[in-house]
Amino acid sequence: MEDAQVVVQLVRRCASGDAIAWEEIVQRFHRRIYNICYRFAGSADDAQDLTQEVFIKIYRTVGSFDGEKASFNTWLTTVTRNLLVDHFRKTRNDRSTDSIDAVQGAEDDGLTMADRLASDTPSPQVHVESRERREMVHKALQQISPELREAVILRDLQDMDYREIAQVLKVPEGTVKSRINRGRGELARLLQRTYRQAL
Amino acid sequence: MLGETKPGTQCAEFDALLADAIDGILNGQQRERFEQHKAQCVACSTLFAEVSNGRTWLDEIEEVAPPRNLVHNILAATSGAAQAAARFVPRISRWERLRREVAVVLAPVLTPRFAMSMGMAFFSIMLVLNMAQIRIKDLTPHNLSHTFYSSQNKLMRYYENMRLVYEIESRVRNLRNASDENEREEQNRRRQKSHDQTQEQNQNNEPDRHEHGEYSPERNFQLLASLDGNKQCPLTYTVTLVHRRREI
Repeated sequence: MEDAQVVVQLVRRCASGDAIAWEEIVQRFHRRIYNICYRFAGSADDAQDLTQEVFIKIYRTVGSFDGEKASFNTWLTTVTRNLLVDHFRKTRNDRSTDSIDAVQGAEDDGLTMADRLASDTPSPQVHVESRERREMVHKALQQISPELREAVILRDLQDMDYREIAQVLKVPEGTVKSRINRGRGELARLLQRTYRQAL
Repeated sequence: MLGETKPGTQCAEFDALLADAIDGILNGQQRERFEQHKAQCVACSTLFAEVSNGRTWLDEIEEVAPPRNLVHNILAATSGAAQAAARFVPRISRWERLRREVAVVLAPVLTPRFAMSMGMAFFSIMLVLNMAQIRIKDLTPHNLSHTFYSSQNKLMRYYENMRLVYEIESRVRNLRNASDENEREEQNRRRQKSHDQTQEQNQNNEPDRHEHGEYSPERNFQLLASLDGNKQCPLTYTVTLVHRRREI
């Protein structure tokens, strides 16, 4: 049985009140939803709250999912995106006073000190540099406009195809591609500027 | 065809193909035209470089691990909450229930302002007790009754003492008055005696003395002043002399 069919079965069971099916859905998709929320909202705390909100909403509306119109993945991403847009509108005023330190340390790989020592990962200096670069890109991502950001996240971080992204964003595919290009270009300019300032 | 159109249109077409070009999914002919225009147009070449760089930068970003308790929280917030609520009903002890009820009743009283007032009142009471040398541990029912009875005894003793003192004072005053009276009588008697002696002497030496009005209760004289009967006088004066008894 294909993965998409398994998911559809799970969703059906969940809609009929199967708690185990619901837990399976949460286990399968929480990481992806959390990452979308984290990259869009920029903060680990916000991402956690938003992920919970997404799943609460899905739990309540899972009965309305129509597998013929779109895949569960697309539907889930659409719900997530709508909540992120709502969150963005609500917190518009707060963002101007957000500290850039809020994202520091949020991008933890979840490894303990013992795991790091035992693993074959690069040296601590390389690890720190890599981590700094990731944080810089993450910060730069927060600075581009939300329309471009969501398109870039869905394409480059979630590997969704243009058709799915167009469904989620409810815009034509050409617009999706254009937004992705503009988003990537803006991000590159921001990072180039940051590097120049750093040097 | 990309190379055959006007430059503005070529750039628009380049922009449309850019995303696919970055993904590397352009077919042979499209890729050729795209590369041709990129080589000719500086703006489009720069745009391609930026977009390509942006894509490379985004590759740096890795998937982050969600918090460990996220799944648990989601399940607790959705289906787990209802199940958990049905499964586990926390027992509340009688004391805890009473405490909560009292807390609800006292909620309006337990305000900072009231607490401040209470604190001040307590401080004042403690100050007064300290000044009166009353210790808190003395304020037990047993000690309080003991203090009450001892105070009562003290008060009674004080009253009795005072009564005795007043009684003695009263007696002394009576005695003093009595002795004063005797002395006064003695003095009067002496005076009377000396007076009588003086009178007696006067009577012997000056017999007409009574006519000049010696003060005595037995001697009330009515002097009628009259002229000679032979002479006509329209007015008759009656002079009454009231002799007062001489006070001693």
